[in-house]
Amino acid sequence: MRPHRGECVVAPARDSRPEGWARRIVALKGNALQGSAGPSPGFSLGITGLALSLLLPLRSLPAQAIGQGVELERAGQYDRAASLYFATLRADPTNLAALLGLERVLPPLNRLEELLPVARRAAAAGPQRAALRGVLLRTYVALSETDSARSVALAWAADAPRDEAPYRDWAIALEDYHHHDAAREVLLLGRRAVGRPAAFAIELAELDQRTGDWESAAREWAAAVTESPAQLPNAAGDLSEAPEVQRERVTRVLTSGDPPAVTRRLAGELLLGWGQPQRAWDVFAPSVATPSADAAYALRRFADLAAASNTPAARRVGALALARFAEMVPEPLAVRARADAARAFLEAGDRAAARDVLERVARDSAAPADAQALAQSAVIEALIDGGQLDEAGRRLDAEGRLTAEGRAALRLRLAEAWVRRGDLDRAAQALARDSSVDALAQRGWIALYRGRVQEAQQLFKAAGPYAGHRRDATERSAMLALLQQIPTATFPELGAALLTLARGDSVPAVAALRLAAVHLETGGSGGGRPDILLVAGRVAARLGPDERRVALALFAEVVRTGGSGAAAPAAELEWARLLERDQRTAEAIQHLEHLILSYPGSAVVPEARRELERAKGAIPKS
Amino acid sequence: MKRREFLQAVSRIGGWAVSARLLAYYPPIRLSAYPSLLIPMDDAQSDHLKAYGVTYRVVQAGIKAEWLLNYRGGSFLVPDGPAIRRDATLAGVGFEAVDDGQVAGIRGEIEANNMDAVPLEKAPKVAVYVPPNAPPWDDAVTMALQYAGIPFEKVWDFEVVAGKLPTYDWLHLHHEDFTGQYSKFYLIYAGAPWLAEMVRFNGDAARRLGFETVPDLKKAVARKIRDFVENGGFLFAMCTATETIDLALAAERVDIAAAFADGTPMDPQADRKLDWTRALAFTGAHVEPNPQIASFSDIDGHQVNAGPRRQPLGAFKLFNFSAKIDPVPTMLVQSHRQVIPDFYGLTTSFVRDRLKPSDLVLADEEGAPWVKYIHGDHGKGTWTFFGGHDPEDQQHQIGDPPTDLSLHPHSPGYRLILNNVLFPAAKKRELKT
Repeated sequence: MRPHRGECVVAPARDSRPEGWARRIVALKGNALQGSAGPSPGFSLGITGLALSLLLPLRSLPAQAIGQGVELERAGQYDRAASLYFATLRADPTNLAALLGLERVLPPLNRLEELLPVARRAAAAGPQRAALRGVLLRTYVALSETDSARSVALAWAADAPRDEAPYRDWAIALEDYHHHDAAREVLLLGRRAVGRPAAFAIELAELDQRTGDWESAAREWAAAVTESPAQLPNAAGDLSEAPEVQRERVTRVLTSGDPPAVTRRLAGELLLGWGQPQRAWDVFAPSVATPSADAAYALRRFADLAAASNTPAARRVGALALARFAEMVPEPLAVRARADAARAFLEAGDRAAARDVLERVARDSAAPADAQALAQSAVIEALIDGGQLDEAGRRLDAEGRLTAEGRAALRLRLAEAWVRRGDLDRAAQALARDSSVDALAQRGWIALYRGRVQEAQQLFKAAGPYAGHRRDATERSAMLALLQQIPTATFPELGAALLTLARGDSVPAVAALRLAAVHLETGGSGGGRPDILLVAGRVAARLGPDERRVALALFAEVVRTGGSGAAAPAAELEWARLLERDQRTAEAIQHLEHLILSYPGSAVVPEARRELERAKGAIPKS
Repeated sequence: MKRREFLQAVSRIGGWAVSARLLAYYPPIRLSAYPSLLIPMDDAQSDHLKAYGVTYRVVQAGIKAEWLLNYRGGSFLVPDGPAIRRDATLAGVGFEAVDDGQVAGIRGEIEANNMDAVPLEKAPKVAVYVPPNAPPWDDAVTMALQYAGIPFEKVWDFEVVAGKLPTYDWLHLHHEDFTGQYSKFYLIYAGAPWLAEMVRFNGDAARRLGFETVPDLKKAVARKIRDFVENGGFLFAMCTATETIDLALAAERVDIAAAFADGTPMDPQADRKLDWTRALAFTGAHVEPNPQIASFSDIDGHQVNAGPRRQPLGAFKLFNFSAKIDPVPTMLVQSHRQVIPDFYGLTTSFVRDRLKPSDLVLADEEGAPWVKYIHGDHGKGTWTFFGGHDPEDQQHQIGDPPTDLSLHPHSPGYRLILNNVLFPAAKKRELKT
């Protein structure tokens, strides 16, 4: 949990304390049971029960007291809790739970020094118990009695020469009090004492990060992951937070010379996360050159991390990792990985690589049916995206391994591609045998592009609100609202203009829409004219500065001539947004105010009010 | 100022200019036949917070308004007019046109019940005490003022020490630590760039203003603020500012700052030496001696950053005062909700035992040893302390995005803040309590 407004990390209890406490309680109960079990298994249950009944109350007394102490702590009665813990320690000087309780409650009472005599007595009475020595060590550190803390820690270390605990506890206590340099010295001392070069590497790395020494942190993490590769995710997670200016230094530390495979993987993951996918792959790839279980695992992890990034370059290196992964794993997994790799290549725009991978799957008769279907589907997608629409259509008709759902999706995609090419007949042909709502919606657009306004309306209505994504449904509803105002059953000029727009020719589309509006004004009753100009304005507003000027003129015209229809307030909102985008805030505010006051019943008023608040700085920018 | 001038006055606020071109270009708005507009503040209101802004601007334009205490959630009655309608419509504030007969009916209801009509006659000039460099948290009052469209100026140590406070009517303090210990984040957030900047900035200000240490500077600022109240100013404080201004005042000659703040440890006898007669609201408190615990004293009941001492949040209840006898506290508790969920701040609440006998409790948590919202007089002025940081973000943490008040237009907690802004506009009357 993040601290609340600088919430204090008071840390009254170390992670180990509750466990130690729990262990102590279990130990007490265990002792009671052992004591009551008696020396002879021949004792009757009655005698055992009697022994239990005599012993348990005596043995559970300290535990009860500790329980009461905790309750008092919860109620904020630290004074009373402290008295209870002291009383417990008088009866049982090595009672760890009571000592830990005092360690919690005495600092807020500003009486920490009272812990020292009882901690000393406990450590003397139980010299083999590391937890008691830990309490004494922490108390000395908390009281800034540096020499005493050192002698306790060194005596503890002398009694347990291979044990890392004395140094670790000592360093953590120092770190808690922000004595970072002293904590570092202790950890390095411990490293020398235990004789292992990677000892305390993680602690040192975290300490380095805290003090901003990311290069040193990288060195320590490299040592830690080399000794224990399971630490790789932790290392990557921690080092990924390095500030931008430090990242190159971290990378240099991890990649200089010929680093071990696991260090390369660490560097690769970091570079991937920092937005350098190609460099990440270059560093990472040599570490998975030789097939092995851990190389396969590393490749899968790398691919997953790459998939989380939304750039084509990241997708491409993810695909490379998956393709390599496929070579290291058995067949069912390999086929799926190849299909995934192909998708990633496609998303990255590398169609050639995608087809290479997919053709391999599609030709593989031993591959499972679903993987083959997936591969076939991806091949056809690649063909469509690559503009080979005839070939895609042929394969779509011939391929029997596709699922019905997959086939329908591909037909829609093919139809859209034909529309983008401007061939409405071929687009309609692609959907000829499809009666799904998605196909109806697409047919509606095709009818509209042909200028058949009435037919388009009927098809849009038939498609209903569930065809495609929510955005598609919204777009259809808006178009339906426009078409309903057109007085004629056909309107070829509008269809042609919208087709130009669908083909991605935005600038000509704006001109065509304006011409269509003029035609409507002169040839028809004028219905729908402001709405068409609004569409043209919205398109123009997304383009360059020249077209934005056109957009402003269009919005002005709609506001001036739109009357009481829905187009006028919508145009004024777009007008204000465009002005706001051009830093013309005062003018934007004028329009927003005019909109709110002039069209109080418009559906865009809540949006306008929010824009107004934002423009005035009354609410934070979001 | 006459009503027709109101448009110009409104246009001065936040750059809401209405150009002559636009007015000429668009058709004029219909004039009303009703004499008054009722701005209801019960559940019928579409934006409670902005209603305060509309009323403030009416009063600022020199037009008389009335605060109908306890009537439909503390409604406002303003004269009808196109500019006021326009302002309310733009703000999304609901209003009802009422004729003379309806106004008479309202007055009759007010007379017969625990309600009152308080004239609002002068829009207070508002100052917010805030450091020039933005801290990594936001200030609920600044956000409320910005959202409601109430103009304010920012002041800090330079302005306060230079004696600028008497030019304002109302002063707000928020997350400031007047003990000069940087909210005691110094050790916890060691190395954080924003803290380093805060330390550098405050240290620089102390040197430039001729003080040896930041705590010395903050104590001097606290005394200036107390003088402002004594001379008739209205002080509204939230969060840490409530507790620390009193600690700074009581510790005028005692070192209560940790060594990291002034180079010397806190006086071990500080508790005994504190002079609470100099403080505004609290008495008999014990200062937190541990520099690593981000708590200042035992004034705060919740101790959010004090580890095991932290108390859970409940809900606080506004007191119901007699509107005709106690209009001031009644104004301060106007709300459409009587029970409000509590929210943390570095100072969340005030322990009852630490209140001075003269303090007036406006809201408390029933059965809890703390209160939430208090008020009192000092000299010719008044102070109001409201615990907690952000009424619509119970657990607000450093680095969280600021609260978007357009998502909380009915916030009863923020209403309490805005009651305080408008309360100095009320025509002064002899207080009964």
